Amino acid sequence: MRVSIIIEAVTRYAKIRETMADIHSSLSLEPEPIIRLPEHFNRDWVSSRPAAGFSHDKPVVLDFAGVKDIDSSGISLVHVLKRTFERSNQKIILRNITRPMLSAITAVPQPVAAVSVKLGERFPSSVGTATLAVFSVAASALSVLTEMFYWGTIGAFKKLDMKKGALGEQMFQLGYKALGIVALLSMLIGIVLALQAAIQLRMYGAGIFLAPMIGISMIRELGPILTAIILAGRTGSATTAEIATMMVGEEIDALKTMGINPIQYVVVPKFWAITLTMPILTMLSTATGIFGGFLVSLAYLDISSSLFWSQLSQNIFIKDVLAGLIKSIVFAWLIIWVGVFYGFRVRGGAEAVGRETTASVVTGIFIIIITDALFSFII
Amino acid sequence: MDQQPIVEAENVTVRYGEHVVLKAVSAAFMPSRITAILGTSGCGKTTLLKTLLGLITPVSGVVRLFGHTLADQDSPASVDMLKKAGTLFQNGALLGSLNIAENVALPLAMHTALPRDVIDEMVHIKLSQVGIPNAAYLFPSELSGGMRKRAALARALALEPPLLFCDEPSAGLDPVTSAGLDDLLLTLRESLGITIVVVTHELLSIERIADSILFLHEGSVLYSGVQDQARKAPDGPMHDFFARRELAAPEAVDETSDFIVENVA
Repeated sequence: MRVSIIIEAVTRYAKIRETMADIHSSLSLEPEPIIRLPEHFNRDWVSSRPAAGFSHDKPVVLDFAGVKDIDSSGISLVHVLKRTFERSNQKIILRNITRPMLSAITAVPQPVAAVSVKLGERFPSSVGTATLAVFSVAASALSVLTEMFYWGTIGAFKKLDMKKGALGEQMFQLGYKALGIVALLSMLIGIVLALQAAIQLRMYGAGIFLAPMIGISMIRELGPILTAIILAGRTGSATTAEIATMMVGEEIDALKTMGINPIQYVVVPKFWAITLTMPILTMLSTATGIFGGFLVSLAYLDISSSLFWSQLSQNIFIKDVLAGLIKSIVFAWLIIWVGVFYGFRVRGGAEAVGRETTASVVTGIFIIIITDALFSFII
Repeated sequence: MDQQPIVEAENVTVRYGEHVVLKAVSAAFMPSRITAILGTSGCGKTTLLKTLLGLITPVSGVVRLFGHTLADQDSPASVDMLKKAGTLFQNGALLGSLNIAENVALPLAMHTALPRDVIDEMVHIKLSQVGIPNAAYLFPSELSGGMRKRAALARALALEPPLLFCDEPSAGLDPVTSAGLDDLLLTLRESLGITIVVVTHELLSIERIADSILFLHEGSVLYSGVQDQARKAPDGPMHDFFARRELAAPEAVDETSDFIVENVA
């Protein structure tokens, strides 16, 4: 009995305390949260205390009493808090602050708000801007192409701003220096292609057809396209990087102010050099590719060399050779056109040079493959 | 005396996209004078220089060099005009693939029929004039900033032009090299009567070399005239420029109203 009375009394007392606490909390004016700032209100302190996480019910007080110095991260934190509390119509309180610190904090102007337009409103203007950009790129690409052909042919009779020996130098750079890589890669591709075909052909006793197969593939398709892809990576990128660097270094502007046509000085020697060397490189690529096939036929199919060459000559016609050569010249013009276009397009610094060079190689290879596909329908 | 300006800009407006950089700028550059184009960063000085050179086509207005309108840069008339104007770019803009002698010889080889040995001798003279006779067979990448500028000046002077444009010739140079370049420009003006248009920020350099001032502010001409008058300008951007004072903020904002400040010490 006594125990139950005691339990009841304790329970009542607990309830009363609980109620009193509720009343107290609702009546009392709880003070604003105070952040006592450290002696050095700097990056180290700010890094360890995120600006978020404060209750927005009451304005926060930043107590500067102990602050001896403040850096830009401290000032930034104050402004971040200011903007956070502004959203709930609160102002933060700066307490015990020195006048120089207050000046440093209030000297910061309002940041420019990023223009944000709703997707629905943005869409038509984005489409318009993108369309104009496409037309602008197409117009400047065509302009580069026409200027290249004009100053490389008819314009050369009007004025010739080419350095003496520039054509030979470019032929050496674009053609001679690419001989090794073109020959080696083409021979390896020829060997791989012939090996794959030989395995199948031998199963049907048709190994004799390897010679015309490898010959036609190399002459009409692989010779020109392999050379073009190698040169798009080698010459296309070099052309873009060279012109882009000249653009960034104001060298192109300097040429213009000297009355020297930059297309003639920089581009025309490359244009003629690649036009002249590309067919030679293509022939080399074709020859080494066929030679690779010949090695496989000797080693794997036991076909005599005389039989291989006679089969090849019987099945290759002049139109096949011409198709390969025409392709090679068109590919050469595409490589130099794309390289020059991206070079002159560059704006900015070193980063832009790298970006345009990459774009030049990718576009060059893409255009070559598309054009090759078109050629397959035409010739 | 009625002298005709060597270079003239008439109501030239240039814009990059939506941003108008030059607003109907008119200016005349008189012969045998050094005119400094001044103004704070971003006011359109270099854009004006490039427009005068025909590197930027204005959306409206006309630029005249030696009394002729600069139109198609490849027309024989324009090439003739450009041959009469040398340009010293901010970073020299020497062709990296050519050595210094080849760079200086380039305009001579392109625009004259002089024999090679005469060109070589002229190159040596020009390099000696600018104080770097021993740099002939070095490449631009092997030179210091000051030497590159001197080499670029030698190239700009190769055709002995009556007009020279300089874009910040003293930028990034030590005071001694900078003063040397100033001396060189003064000598060119005094001994050869060259008209020089200089874009610069260097107050000491301006004081030493400039006969006239063209002061640009936010794309417009604020002042055009002699230097003494410019230095006496009352309060404003030009006064602040010469007094090396920071320009006042466009509008002072009292941000204390954004905070509740208690107990300011």
